[in-house]
Formats: sequence, structure tokens, C-alpha cells
Amino acid sequence: MTHKLNVCVGLAAFIGSVTIAMAAETIPVGQLVDYTGPTADISTPYGHAVQDSIGYINDNGGIDGRKIELKTSDYSYQVPRAIATYKSWVSGFKPVLIQGWGTGDTEALSGFVAKDKIVYMSASYSGHLTDPTGKSPHTKRPAPYNFFYGPTYSDGCRALIEWAKGDWAKKGGEGAPAFVHMGDNHPMPEAPRAACESYAKDLGFEVLPPIRYSMAPGDFKSQCLSLKQSGADYAFMGNTTGSNISLLNSCDTVGVDETQFMTMVWGFDENVVKSAGEATDGIVWPVGSALWDSEAPGMNLIHEIMAENGRTGETLHYIRGVCSAFYMRDAMTMAAAKGDITGPTIKAAFETMTNHVPTELEGVCLPHSWTHENHRGTVNIRVYQSHWNNGDNTFEFLTMVELPRRDDWLGW
Amino acid sequence: MALSADSMRCGEFRTSYKADTTIFPTPRSRNFALAGLLALLVAPFIFDSYVVSLLIQIGYYAIAALGLNILVGSTGQISIGHGAFFGVGAFGSAWLSNSFGIPVILAIPLAGVMASAVGLVAGIPALRIKGLYLAIATLAAQFILEDIFSRAVWFTGGPAGSMASEPSIFGYIFNSDQSYFYIVLFFLVVMFLAGANMLRSRDGRAFVAVRDHYLSAEIMGINLAKYRVLSFGVAAFYAGIGGALFAHYLGYVSAESFTLMLSIQLLGMIIIGGLGSVMGTLLGVTFMVLLPEVMDMAVGAVGDVIPGLAEGSSYLKQMAIGLAIVLFLIFEPDGLAHRWKQIKAYWKLYPFSY
Repeated sequence: MTHKLNVCVGLAAFIGSVTIAMAAETIPVGQLVDYTGPTADISTPYGHAVQDSIGYINDNGGIDGRKIELKTSDYSYQVPRAIATYKSWVSGFKPVLIQGWGTGDTEALSGFVAKDKIVYMSASYSGHLTDPTGKSPHTKRPAPYNFFYGPTYSDGCRALIEWAKGDWAKKGGEGAPAFVHMGDNHPMPEAPRAACESYAKDLGFEVLPPIRYSMAPGDFKSQCLSLKQSGADYAFMGNTTGSNISLLNSCDTVGVDETQFMTMVWGFDENVVKSAGEATDGIVWPVGSALWDSEAPGMNLIHEIMAENGRTGETLHYIRGVCSAFYMRDAMTMAAAKGDITGPTIKAAFETMTNHVPTELEGVCLPHSWTHENHRGTVNIRVYQSHWNNGDNTFEFLTMVELPRRDDWLGW
Repeated sequence: MALSADSMRCGEFRTSYKADTTIFPTPRSRNFALAGLLALLVAPFIFDSYVVSLLIQIGYYAIAALGLNILVGSTGQISIGHGAFFGVGAFGSAWLSNSFGIPVILAIPLAGVMASAVGLVAGIPALRIKGLYLAIATLAAQFILEDIFSRAVWFTGGPAGSMASEPSIFGYIFNSDQSYFYIVLFFLVVMFLAGANMLRSRDGRAFVAVRDHYLSAEIMGINLAKYRVLSFGVAAFYAGIGGALFAHYLGYVSAESFTLMLSIQLLGMIIIGGLGSVMGTLLGVTFMVLLPEVMDMAVGAVGDVIPGLAEGSSYLKQMAIGLAIVLFLIFEPDGLAHRWKQIKAYWKLYPFSY
């Protein structure tokens, strides 16, 4: 028994030393995921996608011959744990780029990564992260090292407001339509609220007081009753899929028929349809990439990566995870061509991209442009609607909204 | 009288009350404590950042846990709102240093005072109720404060939280783990000495009297109301200092750090360490802080043999904390302090075990 223990310890030490020796040539990348917390159902496909893509990149030549060393940490959506992990990484692992996850921790870390010069690619598309120099009057804090693949939450909501305006006219609605923002008192749902309510007011909507519902799934019948009584025509759900499922089920039970539900990028996917069924009929939401039924050439790579890792039945967030990883790959390749791969060089590489799409993902990822003063990657938002069709659910493409690149829309 | 580890050696005798109520029971234990302190003073130069960060965590949790131990172990009350007082100290220190420009090193004790004020108010139910009912009242304080943290944008920054800057003394900024360790060590030593001193003073004896037999204590003339609420105030002061140190270490404070889970963890720390014992607090906190790290290493080592284990490592960590509390309650209800005393007694009194 003791002998076996000694052998195991010796083996572990040997493996550890070999890993340390190999680490010298690799590119350190940190990844924060939430596999065990409230957003686990959307973090799992996204996190897996990033891991799988990096594995694929490593197997196919890496970045200029160097492999990416990925360290994944599950922080259960608790911001202090993310910060503690970040601090331990900065003193030991020293990543050049971090694939982050949630809004709370990304916004909290934006100051830290700016000081430590580490590029932070988040799965949070909060508008607060889009102003690198702080020139917009709405910016609370400049975020020079924050990038993300996807339209901002605020832009997504603005696009939905534009669609809703057209929809109201088409339906023959009289007077001003009423808009209500629903979400938890939490950074992620709160991120687009101010921008969205302001834009709704600009477009002639009547903005009702926001309705709070928790990000953890629960019984939201009282919120649905308030929604029904408020007479809102368009309700924007700011939370993620888990709590939206509960909300849709509760509102279906209460009988909220007059309200058109809209949600954000992380608020709707195939799982919501599976769990809430008919209650999801007619939901409108922005999609940040192509969908599974797309025939774009880039989908081949997605399927190849999934097959290599044995993934089946993934939700649409998987595609955005692959896009995020490949934009990182492209930025690192551009940085390697000019010199070394460090935080500042990766940032500079990102800021040269104009309408950039990774070559293998043509037609799948939306073109993104970043500049030194503007980190709103994309202003083209594809708005989709879900149709229940008695179980034969389809996602219908409604319209592509192109929002203006206004300087005062940065940072919120 | 039974022999024990604390029995005096032959030839030792005390001739005054002052000599009888020293903070350290024997000169040897005092010397060991001093040696430990000297070892801690050089620890940042010997160990790497990771170990130092663990020591810092032990430091600020130990201060908060000592407060809870005074409340629960020495005064016999119950509080499951201690995490919220920790939060008041954290947010308070960040708010004082951000809004009023008060130097961080002064904001920390002031945050303790703020937390103490909140604790005095939260302790008012203790005047009338005891036991389970008091536990529920403190639970209410926990929830109320948690809600205030997530809504009071002027104080806490709302759901987005607030940034807490690093302490600086005469221009020297304590922004590394190694340098911040000394700030935490300073507060730890001061608060622990103050706590141990308080427990041997008149107020400390009053606390113990309230715990052991409150009716007799009242008959003897101890003002129950005053000491019950004072105990809450003192506990909250300690929690506030611990929270402020936590805030300035992390650099960022958000409401989700101060949930009921933290209150239960602090309770777990003092249960494992030993109720009513100052040294036990330190032992219990060390155990609870190192447990997730040891579990991480164990899972990492075993995870190579059993692949599925690595994915569930954060679940295992949570389970381990709960399991530790339960096992300690079953097998060692008096905590690590008692177990340490038994170990000392075994060696001291060998071959006699009594």
C-alpha cells in the first residue's frame, strides 16, 4: 500500500515536472466558467466550445507552432471567487488572455486587466465594456482591454425596440406602445436597462417601471400578474435561460396574452423551447451567429469540432463559443506575425480588425470591427422569432437591424 | 483535582490575581506564541504568493470568527447574521475611503465601528429572546442587510459593487500579497490580544456568567440587557474589521459575497475550532480555509486515476465543508482546541492518561 502510494506520488511529481518544462513554449490562456452556478445551463455549451476549439487549434498547428495552454476555473458565478482566481493567475500562471464569462466578474475585473494588460474576452456583452478610452459621457469606467464576440446587450435591446416599433405599426396598434424591462437586480440584466429604456423613449414608447425577477429559477406568478396588470405590449426579459423558463411557464399559467416577449442573447435557446414548450411561441430575440440549420461553409468546422469531442445536441451558444475562440486565434496569429504574443500586442491586433471573420468560419460568425476608441464589435443584429408549431419548433429570421455607430452609445 | 495539560508544573505557583489571569497560561505557551509570530513575520519571504494569500484569508476570517466566538462561545447567544456584519465592514471601509478620502488604514477601524453600530441594533432582539428565536432574528438581520447591500447604490454601488483601494502609509502602497500580509497580521495580533484580554476582564467574566447561568448572573447584579447587546456590538466590530481587510485585499466588494453561506461558514469555523476558545478560533479558521485547498489537491491527485472526479471538484469542495462540520459535531464537539489539549495532556502525563 505504501509502496503503491510512493509510486503514485513519484509519478505525479514526474508528470508535474514535465508539464512545467513544456509550459515554456505555450501561450497561457485562462478560462472562467460557471458549470455549477446559476448560469450553468448556458455556460456549459459555451465553455465546452472554447475548450474544444482551443484543442482543435492546438491539434492543427497551434499559433505559429506554439500551443495554447488553457487553464479552466469554475467560479460558480461568484464574483469574489473569480477575482481570487484572477489574482492567483496573475502571480503564477500569467495568462496573456482570459476567456471570461459573466457580467459581474468581467465588469469588476475590467480595471484589473487594464492595469495588468491582459486581454479579456468575455461571454458578457455588457455595453459598459465597450468604451476603451472613456470618451462617452455614459461611460462609468474605461475598459481598454475588454473585447467580446457578439452584439452588446444594449444594442440587442435597441434592435428589438426597433423591430417592436415596426411590429406595432404592422399590428395596427393605437397610441404609444408600452415597454417594460424585466430582470434581476444584478449586473447582467441591469447592463442594458438604462440604454434600452432611453432608446425606447426616443422611439415613442411608454416606458413602464421595471419588473424584478430572480436569476435563479422559481415561481414568478406574482411578477406575471404585475406584468398583466401593467398592460405592457412589449416585455424584455433580461435574465438568462434558466429563470426565463420559469417566467414563461408562470406567465403562461397566469395567462399573459397581450404581451410580446422579447429577450436577450443568453435568454433563449433550444433548451428553453424544450422546457417551456408552447409558452415560448412567438418570442423574439437576437442571435449572435448562424443557427444550426445554416448552410454556410463555416458550419463544417463547427460540426468537425463537435464530432472530435463527442458533442451532440448542443444549444446555439456553442457556435458563439467557437467564434470567440477563433477570433482569439486570429488576433494571436496577427500578434505573432508582428512580434511576441502579449496582452498589448493581442489588443493591438484586435484593434486592426475591420469587418473581420475567421476564414474557416465564413458565414457563421458575424463580422466584427474594433478600433482603439471603439470596442462595439458589431452593430448588425439579426432578430429571430421562435414558432412553436405544436412541437415542430422553428426559428424564423425576421430582420437584420443595423444600428448607427453613435459615439454617445458607447459605454452603456 | 484531575491532572490535565493546563495543570501547573511542580514548583510553579502564583502569588497574585494578576499572575493568575495572564493571557497565556504558562510562560512556555507565551514563548511559543511569540516564536509563531516571529515565524509569521518572515513567512512572506520564504513562501510563495499562494501560501501568503491563504495566510491572509486565515487572518481576516480569524478576526471575524473571534467576534462570533465571543458572541456564541463566551456569551452563549446565537447569530447566523455574522456574514452580514462582515459585509457592513467591507462596504463601509470601501465607502469611507472612496467617498470621504479617509486613508484606508484608518477606514478599517472606522468600518469596524460602523459594523458595531449595526450589530448593536441587530442585537436588540437579544434583549428579549434566546436560542432558536434569536437565531431567526439574526437570520432576519442577515437578509435585510443583504437586500440593503444590493439596493443601496450610494453606499455599496448596488448590484455592480464597489472598488476598494489598497492601503498606503506615508506613500508606500500595500498592493502585493506579501506587503498586505503585514497589515492583516498587525490587525490580527491586536484584535486577538484585545479579545483575549477582554475575556479575562470584568466584562469577559460577565459574558461567561450570562452564558453559564443567566438567572444567577442577574441575581448577582450583572446587567443582562447591557451584556447581551454589548456582546453583539463587540462581535460585529470584529466582523467589521475582518470584512474591511477582506475588501481591501480583494480590491472589489459585491453583495453576493456576504450571503447566509458565509455566516454558516463562520459558525462552522468556531464549532470546529472550539467554542469559547481564542486559540480554537485560529485553529478552526485554519482548518476551514485549508480544507478546500486540500480537497483541490486531493481531487487533482486522485482525478488522474478516476477521470470523472475532476469535473465535480467544486461540488466535492462544498460537500467536504458540510461533512467536516458534521463529523466534528459527532466526534469532537468541543472542537480542535479540546483535541489539542488532549494531545498535550497525553504527552505531558504519559503513561497516565488522566
